[in-house]
Amino acid sequence: MQMRPQIQLQAVIKALSDVVLPAIDPNNKLAIEQGKLSIGLLALLAQQLPNQFRFDCDELARLIATARELVAQAKGGEGTQAAVAALYEATQLAGSTLDTAQASPAEVEAMVRAMRVTSGQLVTEVYRDGEAGCRAGIRDAVLAMSKEQLLRDRSMLLMQGWEPDPKAVPPIASLLDASAR
Amino acid sequence: MTPDKSQPSAAWIAELRARFPTEREIDRVLTRKMQRRAGPGYQPLALETLVDGVRSLLDAELSTPYELRDARWLSGGASKLQMAFTLEWQHPQDGLSCTAMVLRMEPSESIVETSRLREFQLIRAMEGVVPVPPVYWCDSEGDHLPYPALIYGFAPGVTKPSTAASGVSGLGTQLPADLRAKLAPQFVEHLAKIHTAEFRGKGLDAFDIPEVGTTQCAEWGINWWERVWEEDCDEDVPLMRLAAAWLRANLPVLDRAVVVHSDYRLGNFLFTEHDTTITAWLDWELGRIGDRHQDIAWTTSRAFGAMAEDGKTFLTSGLMPEAEFIAAYEKATGLSVNPKTVHWYKVYNDFMMATLSLATGYRTARGSKTHQDVLVTWLIGIGPMLLEEMRSLIEESI
Repeated sequence: MQMRPQIQLQAVIKALSDVVLPAIDPNNKLAIEQGKLSIGLLALLAQQLPNQFRFDCDELARLIATARELVAQAKGGEGTQAAVAALYEATQLAGSTLDTAQASPAEVEAMVRAMRVTSGQLVTEVYRDGEAGCRAGIRDAVLAMSKEQLLRDRSMLLMQGWEPDPKAVPPIASLLDASAR
Repeated sequence: MTPDKSQPSAAWIAELRARFPTEREIDRVLTRKMQRRAGPGYQPLALETLVDGVRSLLDAELSTPYELRDARWLSGGASKLQMAFTLEWQHPQDGLSCTAMVLRMEPSESIVETSRLREFQLIRAMEGVVPVPPVYWCDSEGDHLPYPALIYGFAPGVTKPSTAASGVSGLGTQLPADLRAKLAPQFVEHLAKIHTAEFRGKGLDAFDIPEVGTTQCAEWGINWWERVWEEDCDEDVPLMRLAAAWLRANLPVLDRAVVVHSDYRLGNFLFTEHDTTITAWLDWELGRIGDRHQDIAWTTSRAFGAMAEDGKTFLTSGLMPEAEFIAAYEKATGLSVNPKTVHWYKVYNDFMMATLSLATGYRTARGSKTHQDVLVTWLIGIGPMLLEEMRSLIEESI
């Protein structure tokens, strides 16, 4: 997926800064102020995006550690006991969620990139000096993988309006749900 | 080791040139792009800077007084900056004239890196063959303007009906049936004239002529675009590697060398609405001397077509069904259309377009190299649709 948020944000900020903002009527103070704020918020978003997941994991780890301490120390009547039980249960769930979130989005993206490169290199080399008998199998595997992946890529970008028959492309959420099952 | 594509080394540039031999002028332009890549991005230019550049060019080209006025920005197109102006001057044939003109200039790096010299020569060569805008001067190295540019005359007409809706670059335009009926015959006739025109002796020295009876034409083409993929891509795509291998394994032999427009479609010609006459063919920058099947494959691409009112009939370039288009073309040219070669060029064209959108589109926007990075970024999104078309075409060939 080449169309990632970072490149989109960079391009939008540049268009707003270089073209749109200078063209606003200098007497329209409200539009100028909101234009600048829009650029500022987009710049903040661009800065936050790469760190947002790790930020949330970091906070969740801290909350879990604190919750365990709270559960251990809290003593009292029915109300307190019920709250301890609820926090204990939430902590167990949060702990297992954090355990399964060990790879960050940046690490997953890096692996996607690496797998794309090394798979592509294999295709090139098989067609250069590989045994002719294995080429059909390599070709079919790449075509089959590409069919599934491109369906998801196209679905992710559906709102741009490139598809001649948009109804033929399922929503991205349903495709990802199907993959997860 | 992965090369740093934002700051390419001289050794890597030399390696790419050796790996992907292509036409001399294409090689020159791509090499220049890579040598300048580490330089600054595009900085917004004042209109006055362009006016000064045009004056410098005119001072070098004209020996009689002139007056330049009414300079203004033009929108349209994803790859070049355009400024309209009026020139009062001594026209070589018409005498004192007031001529509406357009400056077409590259940004720092373009989503389509091409040669202004080739564009200039090809439009000149096509004068009298098909309607083209008059071209006047070329600043092929950016000696006068901030970047390479050419100046051409304003042609009357519109690219789509005033009432029609379409996406960027004229993609997805829907034309009413009566308009299609009048434009389609001209569309075919002009393509036939381009493909049957004599190009030798027309000053096309920025073009190399591929050898008929060999696969050189197709090889130059795939070398061109695979080189650009290597130079520009960020995320690799295994399907692109498979497609490159498939194209090389199935190279077609050139049976006749002709002028190829390379972007022949609805949206790239002007027509006057009062008489529905095509007045100018635009965007010759990707033109080459090559195989007519490249244009036929391009024109019939799904990306440039549209459905008819019945919702079932797919119209080539939004104008006519593909079978009708091919039959009319063969009749007008007397040349046969080889479906296998068209199929190869469809894969080739998708490979080229996917390269432009996914690789060059990303690279230029990432380097802040154009005057409209936001549009270039938007166009990255067409990549998966093009890849799917290419994938289906390769699958069909099995």
